[in-house]
Amino acid sequence: MSLQTLTYQKDKKQFLVLGVLTLSLFVVLILSLSMGAFSIPASKVLYVILDALGLPAGEFSKQESSVLLGIRLPRVLLALMVGGGLGLSGAALQGLFRNPLVEPGLIGVSSGGALFAVVFIVFGNSLPFLGYFGAAGLPLFAFLGGLLNTFLVYKLASQSGKTDISLLILAGVALNALSGALIGLAIFYADDAALRNFTFWSLGDVGGANWQKVGVCFMFILGPIGLILSQYRQLNALAIGENEAFHMGVNVQMVKYILLFCSALIVGTAVSLTGTIGFVGLIVPHLIRLLYGADHKLVLPASFLLGGVLLSLADILARTLVAPAELPIGIITAIIGAPFFIWLIINFKKIRT
Amino acid sequence: MLQANDIHFCIQNRPIVDRASMVLRPGELTVILGPNGAGKSSLFKVLSGEQVCKDGRVSYNGRPLDQFKNRQLAQVRSVMPQHSSLNFPFSVLEVVELGLLPLGKNYGVDLLQEVMKQTQTWELRDCLYGNLSGGEKQRVQLARVLTQIWEKKPFPRYLLLDEPTSSMDIALQHHVLSIIQKIKERNIGVLAILHDLNLAANYADQVILMKKGNILFQGKAESVMNTENLMQVFDHPIKVYQGDERRPTIIQSIPFKSINNQIKQA
Repeated sequence: MSLQTLTYQKDKKQFLVLGVLTLSLFVVLILSLSMGAFSIPASKVLYVILDALGLPAGEFSKQESSVLLGIRLPRVLLALMVGGGLGLSGAALQGLFRNPLVEPGLIGVSSGGALFAVVFIVFGNSLPFLGYFGAAGLPLFAFLGGLLNTFLVYKLASQSGKTDISLLILAGVALNALSGALIGLAIFYADDAALRNFTFWSLGDVGGANWQKVGVCFMFILGPIGLILSQYRQLNALAIGENEAFHMGVNVQMVKYILLFCSALIVGTAVSLTGTIGFVGLIVPHLIRLLYGADHKLVLPASFLLGGVLLSLADILARTLVAPAELPIGIITAIIGAPFFIWLIINFKKIRT
Repeated sequence: MLQANDIHFCIQNRPIVDRASMVLRPGELTVILGPNGAGKSSLFKVLSGEQVCKDGRVSYNGRPLDQFKNRQLAQVRSVMPQHSSLNFPFSVLEVVELGLLPLGKNYGVDLLQEVMKQTQTWELRDCLYGNLSGGEKQRVQLARVLTQIWEKKPFPRYLLLDEPTSSMDIALQHHVLSIIQKIKERNIGVLAILHDLNLAANYADQVILMKKGNILFQGKAESVMNTENLMQVFDHPIKVYQGDERRPTIIQSIPFKSINNQIKQA
């Protein structure tokens, strides 16, 4: 067999995988738009969307249109972007740390976000200047906290222009512990309402989505997503080792910088808009690698797509299982994700051989 | 020419490489020999640009190392470190393909296949790198670094190998050295750290003997690798049987047992 046919076969496989994932994402989106406390048939969903794009295709009621465009579409888009962003940054950070056990929280972004969020929730009423921000205060604070923590972790691990990856992990662990302790301290002073608020925030929620949030999400996430996707060659080279990547002409420090800060932006935005949603960033890249191999040319975009699919599915379950009430989405991702992951580990060898 | 002048490299004020100077000429195989802790790998890392040393300078084709961008350097020299671990399930083909990275789009369609056939890794192309034996992994890494400089270029280039044959069986060791003989002809200078004195004596054009951070001897293999020099460097009784056109040079290290017996008999 010649090399050309091999490369061709691989390209074809990657194309196929990405195609199937895109298709399933599309199906899940339609499904997610139609299901919920107020159910809308899939055909009507299409009509409403086409109509909103200026292509009238069929009849639908005013109520259907307002539920869909005002409530459900922003929610579905938010779940898609956050899930995709978490999956992608998980893949990028696992590649950067050369460790399949890394998840985005490791660089401190989630705990920093949570710390600032709990401070805002608990002390928001007693600190008057926090009131200026209104409804945007919580996400803004969480975002800043996430970035601040990541910046500290990065600074702690960097010396004379070089970042030591094992120091980075240690610094992340240390700052996560510190943030956890401070969160505990804030909770100690919290009243019942604040406690309940924070608990639900920390379990993750895409329910409060509106077009404003979707706009913010696109604004902060799209650029970093594109940048991370462009680094697939460098990540492949990094997989054999930092020195090896350097010998192959990769500017390793630049790659570290890009991946860390793009991931921090994505996860920081995600945490600030939807709270901490665990597990997606850890298992999605794993799944892709187990099933299709480790080439980042595929792993990166496929992790984005699969992350979007999984979080959208989790969102469907979150709002249908106990309808009309809603489960926090973070519970769903962990309750379904963890056992599935265990099953995957048990069957790991069978799948690969 | 790859030139190193007055390389001085310390770790915690302990000199690892002490004022070493050397030259690597294109078209030649230079072998570095020496006991453990002689500073071979440190010198190697300074030459490759992986370690920066405060004193001394390294230049490739007359241009100082620090004036190269990573990418440009990767087009002039290719490096195979001692160990490369891989935590993700990459296939052999994917690992070798990484050698194409610095080339951009300027390479022939048959490059990978040719290199992989030469290094006997073509049959392994679909295997997972992690499932290979130590010797196979070394062959795959060799294929990767060869890919990086395989195609002919109008300027001299360099291949740096840190113990490339340490996990290989005898036949493969000779196979790798014969590949190196071939790649030399493409105006490429090869530097290899080896532990096998016989391979060094029979294949090297130039030999560098190191001990305690110093280069003690440097020159043609047959003149440098004599009984006296080797015993001084390795602190062990060694006997060199110089070869000629028809016979290879054979270097024997003497076991303690037979030295003791000799002493008793005397």
